[in-house]
Amino acid sequence: MLVSWNLLKLFVDTEASVDEIAERLTFSGSEVEGIAHTAGKLNGVVAAKIISLDKHPSEGKYFVATLDTGAGRKICVTSAKNMKLGDMVFYAGEGSMLPDGTVMGTRDFEGVMSYGMMLSAEELGLHDVDDPSGLLILPNDATAGDDARSLYHIDDTILDVSVTPNRGDLLSILGIAREIKGLFPKSQMLRPEWLTPAPQVKEWPETFGRISLPDKGCFAYRLGLASGAKISGSPLTVKIDLAHLGMRPINNAVDVTNYVMLMLGQPLHAFDLNTLPAREITVRAAHKGETMITLDGKERLLTERDMLITSGGEAVALAGVMGGQQTGINQDTSTIVVESASFSPVRVGHTSRRLGINSEAAFRFSRTVDPALSVYALVAASNLLKDWCGAEIDYKPIAAENEIYQPKPIALSQRKLSVYLSWDDMNEAARILEGFGIKQVKDNTFLPPTWRPDIAIEEDLIEEIGRFRGYNDAPDKLPGELPRRADIGDNMRLAGTIRQLMTARGYTEVLTYSFLPENFTELLRLNHDDLRAKTLNIANPISRDQMSMRTSLLPGLLMGLKAALSSGWRGQVRAFEQGRVFIGNDEPEHLAGLVYNGRDNRSPNNDRAEAFFDIKADVIAVLRARGLEAEFKVGSEPFMHSGQCAHVWLEGKCIGWLGRLKPVIEQNFDVAGVYAFEIDLAELGMCVKPVFRLASSYPASFRDISLLVARDKSNHDVLCDIKAAVLEAGNINLDTLRLFDVYEGKGIPEGFRSLAYSLSYRSEDRTLKDDEVEAVHNNVRENLKRKGYVIR
Amino acid sequence: MAVTELNIADVRDAFLVSLNAIHSLQELDDLRVKFTGKKGELTLLLRSVGKLPPEQRKQAGQEMNSLRDEIDIRLAEAEKIIRDAENEKLEIQERIDVTLPPKGRLKGAFHPVLQTMHEIADIMQGLGYSVASGPEHEEDFYNFECLNIPAWHPARDMQDTFYFNDGTLLRTHTSPVQIRAMLQYGAPLRIVCPGKVFRRDNDTTHSPMFNQMEGLLIDKDVSFSVLKGTITEMVNAFFGRSLKARFRASYFPFTEPSMELDIECVECSGHDEDCRVCHGTGWLEVAGMGMVHPNVIRAGKIDPNIYNGFAFGLGLDRLAMLKYGISDLRLLFDGNTAYLLSGWGGEF
Repeated sequence: MLVSWNLLKLFVDTEASVDEIAERLTFSGSEVEGIAHTAGKLNGVVAAKIISLDKHPSEGKYFVATLDTGAGRKICVTSAKNMKLGDMVFYAGEGSMLPDGTVMGTRDFEGVMSYGMMLSAEELGLHDVDDPSGLLILPNDATAGDDARSLYHIDDTILDVSVTPNRGDLLSILGIAREIKGLFPKSQMLRPEWLTPAPQVKEWPETFGRISLPDKGCFAYRLGLASGAKISGSPLTVKIDLAHLGMRPINNAVDVTNYVMLMLGQPLHAFDLNTLPAREITVRAAHKGETMITLDGKERLLTERDMLITSGGEAVALAGVMGGQQTGINQDTSTIVVESASFSPVRVGHTSRRLGINSEAAFRFSRTVDPALSVYALVAASNLLKDWCGAEIDYKPIAAENEIYQPKPIALSQRKLSVYLSWDDMNEAARILEGFGIKQVKDNTFLPPTWRPDIAIEEDLIEEIGRFRGYNDAPDKLPGELPRRADIGDNMRLAGTIRQLMTARGYTEVLTYSFLPENFTELLRLNHDDLRAKTLNIANPISRDQMSMRTSLLPGLLMGLKAALSSGWRGQVRAFEQGRVFIGNDEPEHLAGLVYNGRDNRSPNNDRAEAFFDIKADVIAVLRARGLEAEFKVGSEPFMHSGQCAHVWLEGKCIGWLGRLKPVIEQNFDVAGVYAFEIDLAELGMCVKPVFRLASSYPASFRDISLLVARDKSNHDVLCDIKAAVLEAGNINLDTLRLFDVYEGKGIPEGFRSLAYSLSYRSEDRTLKDDEVEAVHNNVRENLKRKGYVIR
Repeated sequence: MAVTELNIADVRDAFLVSLNAIHSLQELDDLRVKFTGKKGELTLLLRSVGKLPPEQRKQAGQEMNSLRDEIDIRLAEAEKIIRDAENEKLEIQERIDVTLPPKGRLKGAFHPVLQTMHEIADIMQGLGYSVASGPEHEEDFYNFECLNIPAWHPARDMQDTFYFNDGTLLRTHTSPVQIRAMLQYGAPLRIVCPGKVFRRDNDTTHSPMFNQMEGLLIDKDVSFSVLKGTITEMVNAFFGRSLKARFRASYFPFTEPSMELDIECVECSGHDEDCRVCHGTGWLEVAGMGMVHPNVIRAGKIDPNIYNGFAFGLGLDRLAMLKYGISDLRLLFDGNTAYLLSGWGGEF
């Protein structure tokens, strides 16, 4: 919200400087995001009168003017064509400076010296105020020699105030003036002349029917009449004021409505009486499915929550949001009807949010416009239409009202004030509230003004006092004891354990977007019936890369790998992420890791490249950190190498996968040797109680066994068979069972491999005798033979 | 007798001469055998004692024993010296360039935002706050309605929202956890909730996903002073020094009164007009907060006539960027370890 210092001065008389006001506004809740000086470096530019005007002697496109600058005569050459003898213009003489810092000099125009130049509005930094190709022609009342800085509000200070959504009352110069009055108690409110009601007694020249408000969402609806208006440009000062506040001047009648809105905060709408379909206005709820074409040419589909201004059954405006196309002011308009209404913020809010229309009117109505304003705004508009358009305005306004919001008194207790703010001076509190227009109606009961519907409860009063006093002086305290200890929680603890472990194992922690790109099923080669392909899709995505919620952490890690590669990284990449995925309505917490050996992993140390069994160790380490032992079974995933993928099983439940990325996917990324894993952390969150086991004081007996095994039989299956064989063999514990060699090639039949295991037998209560171990081990060998193994 | 004396002296001389010539453990071993072995010169000499006249035996025996002791000692001394020398030689051969790179995996790096999250959760635990959590895929009811933001309210414009087709949404802040925690635990209550939040924004200062930490305290007669003390303590603990702080009045639909916290610029402390972090203002906005609105307490099924409290929301990404000097928010979430590695003990 842009605020003009010049216009502010029409409403409030304060000794505070712009900077003091900006700081006070910022600390009391309305941050001033910028302060701009509109005239910039403008210096030495004066009004001047054209006292002779001739064509350039040789060059037809130029004119040569003699100017009365108030301090002598000057010759100026221009290519503009819109001036005539006797016009007043702005003259920038030699050595003067334009707002952007340009210094004027003399210039030779084909043999005629121009001493400085005559200015257009653009050259004065005034956009949209006047035709940029012509000179800015000043009103006749200008005096030659007057400094441009002192004229037409050219020199202004504009504050950019960030108004929070609860403070609709601050969306006007009047509102900001009231706030300044509250924040600087010595200030005095002023009343611009055009707010003084003119006698309005005459009946309308032609009978206007009635205003009916069947929709209670229209609190009040008023129409004022101005006849005999002459549509032209607004006074220069007004144009400049509007331009400074970011609003394009249109014509004097439309400018009146915009000016009043900027000044008072009341959106107005001007109709040409002759284009109204009937002499009647009805404000009603739209019918479901009804349509209307708004001013911007778009057809809008409406619901019962929208409100329409209709005339003769025809929609002329979407109430509080935007006008229709038919009834606007044009060059030939002479009879103007000005609408000043009060609409429900809820209803306007719904409509503007649903249709995405954030017009100046909708912006204000949805933030609440003081319902009492509609009367004054109409007074202001009438007076200004008289001043700027020469209209006759002494007609009685016609109006209709529904139930209007009335502020309710609020009690303030000293105790609550003291608890909240650690401060409790009730007299001072009443003075502060009074400054904001909140009146003490009886002891400790306060009535907010009509423009502050945001003040409804005791806490709101406390906030007014708090923001006036500022919060920096409150003492610092810490809360007292709680009857229970603080607990960081299982999830956070687990996350902490895992990140320590994974970083210690050389992984870097990453955090990637929880979104999936449009093509991710293709990327991961997922079937339609894969749970991970059934994503939660965003209804209003902003990018093709972020269409749905992730069902796996792998795409994020792969995108990270891609980013690392495209940033020129050639070394190893080892990354992990913990986070939620979205499966159905659940948000399970997952852990995933990715290892890539790099484009260049040469090393003087002959480090071998990492492979499947390295990440397998990482997965085991994570599970062991929680006291869990998983089983690894041969598995398959659509995005994994069909021969290098395992599933992780915990207590009969598959909790994840690990393996090498499918080579065809690796090729898509132009890499080779990417290993990854992903596990569900649900089982890891459980509280694990480790079991303490004493080291045995009796020695173990070691035996090796070497088996010829079909190539497609897994180590996991062989281990199961050996354990079973030991169980069947006799009453001796198998202490450890360890694969120590895998061999295939010379001496081993095609399609087979040799797996060699070391077994250790140990008793917990005695030293085993050699012959009993031998007997059991022989049984084991026999059992294995019976299971079809060939022992080497 | 003269013969024996002579022989003892000869054997001793011969031993010493040989010992001097020795340079390896093998030669030393040979020498040992030559003198003290079964057929060694000293052994033979010892045996010859028996042939001496009885009156000479005692003395000769003593002399020979002392020679034997001397030989043993000298052999042991020589062995120690030669072994050390031989090992030294071997070690020199086994010398490596210890400045070569290390082998195997080194330490990975923490993500700055998650590090921040864990650090602050730790700090807050010290102040008596437990960690609570809630879903990222949230209902409009918890994300907006319960937080005093009805559907028509322009405050919804402050948070552009990702929706799903069934009207559910991605939480736009961690504040819905306030409601969930009040419903679950009741009062009194002290929780923080770290987590991801989502908004439909994407530019250099806005990411569609970012991280917040919500704090909530519900108790009887809670004062703004406690909020002020708590958040100041937390910020100072996080940055590891006492920073100037200032509170500005602000607006959030779910707190009343509401404030924002600015801290002294951690980069320039307000001494650099061209500071790239604070843009010369000397202040950094780091948190929004306020006293919980009675409607919100009511939505949490707690009686606002008995209990009140405060809530605050921290931008974890911003705090991480400030503490670790990161300039572009979006770099935090692209998963690129090439960036994340350059610091934090990452490897090269």
